[in-house]
Amino acid sequence: MRLLTHNMLKCHVKNCTDPDKQYPLRFKDVQIEQIEYEPNEEFLVRMLPRIDWSALVKTAKDLNIGIPGSMPEDPASDQDFLQKLHTIIMETHITEGSMVCDGCSHEYKITKGIANMLLAEHEI
Amino acid sequence: MPLFLVYFAHFHQEFRLPELDSLSILENVPITYDASSYSPESPFFLIEVESAAQAAKLVRRGILIRFIIEYWGSGKTYDELFALLKQTPDRWSDFMACSFKFTVDGFGRSLSQKEKVSVIESFSFMGFQGPIKMKNPDAEFFVCEEYGEPDNPLPAETPKMIWFGRLLGQGSRDLIDKFDVKKRKYLGNTTMDAELSLVMANQALARDSALVYDPFVGTGSFLLTCSHFGAYSMGSDIDGRQIRGTAGFRLGVNGISANLAQYGLADRVLDTVVFDICRNPWRDGPMFDAIVTDPPYGVRAGAKRLGRKSGVDPERSLRVVDGVENHRRSDYLPPTEPYEMSDVISDLLSFAAEKLVVGGRLVYWLPTVAGEYDPKDLPVHPVLRVVANSEQPFGGWSRRLVTMEKIASLEGRATAELPEHAPAHKNFRDRYFSKFEALSLNS
Repeated sequence: MRLLTHNMLKCHVKNCTDPDKQYPLRFKDVQIEQIEYEPNEEFLVRMLPRIDWSALVKTAKDLNIGIPGSMPEDPASDQDFLQKLHTIIMETHITEGSMVCDGCSHEYKITKGIANMLLAEHEI
Repeated sequence: MPLFLVYFAHFHQEFRLPELDSLSILENVPITYDASSYSPESPFFLIEVESAAQAAKLVRRGILIRFIIEYWGSGKTYDELFALLKQTPDRWSDFMACSFKFTVDGFGRSLSQKEKVSVIESFSFMGFQGPIKMKNPDAEFFVCEEYGEPDNPLPAETPKMIWFGRLLGQGSRDLIDKFDVKKRKYLGNTTMDAELSLVMANQALARDSALVYDPFVGTGSFLLTCSHFGAYSMGSDIDGRQIRGTAGFRLGVNGISANLAQYGLADRVLDTVVFDICRNPWRDGPMFDAIVTDPPYGVRAGAKRLGRKSGVDPERSLRVVDGVENHRRSDYLPPTEPYEMSDVISDLLSFAAEKLVVGGRLVYWLPTVAGEYDPKDLPVHPVLRVVANSEQPFGGWSRRLVTMEKIASLEGRATAELPEHAPAHKNFRDRYFSKFEALSLNS
């Protein structure tokens, strides 16, 4: 699972609705794999408004991945920044581990890079 | 603007004009045409485009388009055609000295080699002086005698029309072979055929840097075809076994990721996640440029959602078994209940209305019972406009590829305004099977 995808997902357990706790989900006991791809600046720029930047910073710091603390003023023309963003959201894969909700403690397991986000019977 | 002749593939006739319109947007090539001149019986259609280069660009990723031809003339007889061509001899002068070849084709009747040669010789009045080159000539002239649909032959004496022009380019029908499901490392029992999966990618305007999502991803056909055209894609499914490849036709090949490796799309197909779209974990707000999906409609694989038919019983997942709460056990699978087709569609429209960016497209299949479908059955939503609705008939039932575009932001509007009467897809599964029962009783 890429960090771009992680940035788009929140806990969706019934009654777990505190926006400060249900998102972002916290990674736990993860295995990380870096896979290099050709960066696509146009795509990265298009995704910028769809990314929750503060959630991404928090997650990257949790995983000890270097990330600029704030977005540059003109991110679209900052190649260094875009390359870093590419490394973080596109090349970083969580292959094993889980994502934990700080609100309700639900653990969403990740196996072979695929997250299981099904809810249990008492959570729907 | 000059005229160009589109030579469509003679399949999926209701999908051809919608695809052409999508290509015009995708390639940013403005076109005009007279829709009333379109005939599902004919593969030929005249359009206006600014230039030959633009026309070639227009069709290059067309799936239901064979060729694009710079239109020089047509006639019911060669005499008629030649008379027309002789009115514009200045048009030929550009091609007097360059290398060239002639291609002669028949639609609805194949022409013998002898007939083809005699057709080519009849064009000698144009007096091209350049060398004939069979491979990569500077100009390729195209003659097609149209006799009528192959399945429905006229007394094939005389053509209905003879078309003539300069061949400029072709569509991407070779991709149908590339994505042929038989060649895929991994597939399931509901995998969509390659041709329509590719048409869907065009309808979705899948292109470089777009983000596409399939909420009923199954074995991931649409991720492959959309990402082939440069889009980034994601998928989800309530059934993780299909994603992982622990169920389906081919076991032990690592599921969807086997196909990503096969097609070299691991950089564009971003992720597949297991969840129920009814209770999905996407955070709020628009994210996707397109949603492309074939919702399960209960004929081969019944739709399911989380829940229990007899009512949810929280005790069951919280019950402690061998010292562990049931839902924390590694083999815990939450219960599912049937998910009725009309609910699937209305949920899908509400979801698309929220999660698409303005201008984004929803492309999905809607099954209907033949003879009972009414255009009013089409689910509507105040921020989704119907762009196209193309039927693929199967005798007792049909499926329709519906393309919708998000025309305004949602801003807390009402949920899907569904038609008040029972739509033709209501209880589709029951009616599909009862129809088959009726058929088998009669035979």
